[in-house]
Amino acid sequence: MSILILLSVVILAIASITIKKTVPAMIAFAMMMFMLGIYYMVLDEKLLGLLQVFVYTGGIVVLMLFGITVIGPEFPEAKKRPWAIVSTLLVAVALAYLVLVLFPDQQTIAADPDDQAKIFAEHYADFALIFALVGSSLLYGTMKMAKLLTAKRSYDDV
Amino acid sequence: MFEIELLFAIALFSVGLYGVTSKSDFLRIFFSLEMLLNAVILMLASSAHHLGMTQNLAVAYMIIVIATLEAAAGVLIFVVANKLTDKIIPDQFNEGADYE
Repeated sequence: MSILILLSVVILAIASITIKKTVPAMIAFAMMMFMLGIYYMVLDEKLLGLLQVFVYTGGIVVLMLFGITVIGPEFPEAKKRPWAIVSTLLVAVALAYLVLVLFPDQQTIAADPDDQAKIFAEHYADFALIFALVGSSLLYGTMKMAKLLTAKRSYDDV
Repeated sequence: MFEIELLFAIALFSVGLYGVTSKSDFLRIFFSLEMLLNAVILMLASSAHHLGMTQNLAVAYMIIVIATLEAAAGVLIFVVANKLTDKIIPDQFNEGADYE
């Protein structure tokens, strides 16, 4: 059951970046995220599964719909990059080697549900700091980009 | 089972990496970035379940929040850039620009 769900996740992931039409690609992406959420629920991580479904299948897919309104019904033609598949395969093989050969025979221990409640209490400040750093970086990048584009618009107007 | 889950996470990561390196339109780059992040979340969730490393779940929640922020900021930047340049491929946003 779990393997079937994970297999469908990978197949839907491949479909979402290879389909040429935007809406079917978006549906494949949403289904992939939904199946991942189901998988987390099967793993007994219900909160993570619910977050996955609500945030990705709900929020991020709706955000992407704004992108579809700009792009139109079909993706534009991409430049050919033959080295992409080779470098991806190399990275995949290296990661699989690291996981399966260098770190074999992990001992499996049952998770303690009580630990999960303590994590946020003990590390709340660390998470808030990381969150603030990432948020401020994104805000800075957005403002910088907007400034650059405004400069281009005024340059084009002249 | 843990190793199989890790292999699927690596497969998802590889699909995302292929999308980021081979595609040039905004939407598929975003799909691929989300796949990269979700591969990491999958690895963290399975290690929390099988190895008892429950602190990994907190990192997974954090990654979901960051992914949401990244998607919101990215879509905003793309829509604004498209309005100003009339182009839909990010590689072309700065074509012919000699301003700073």
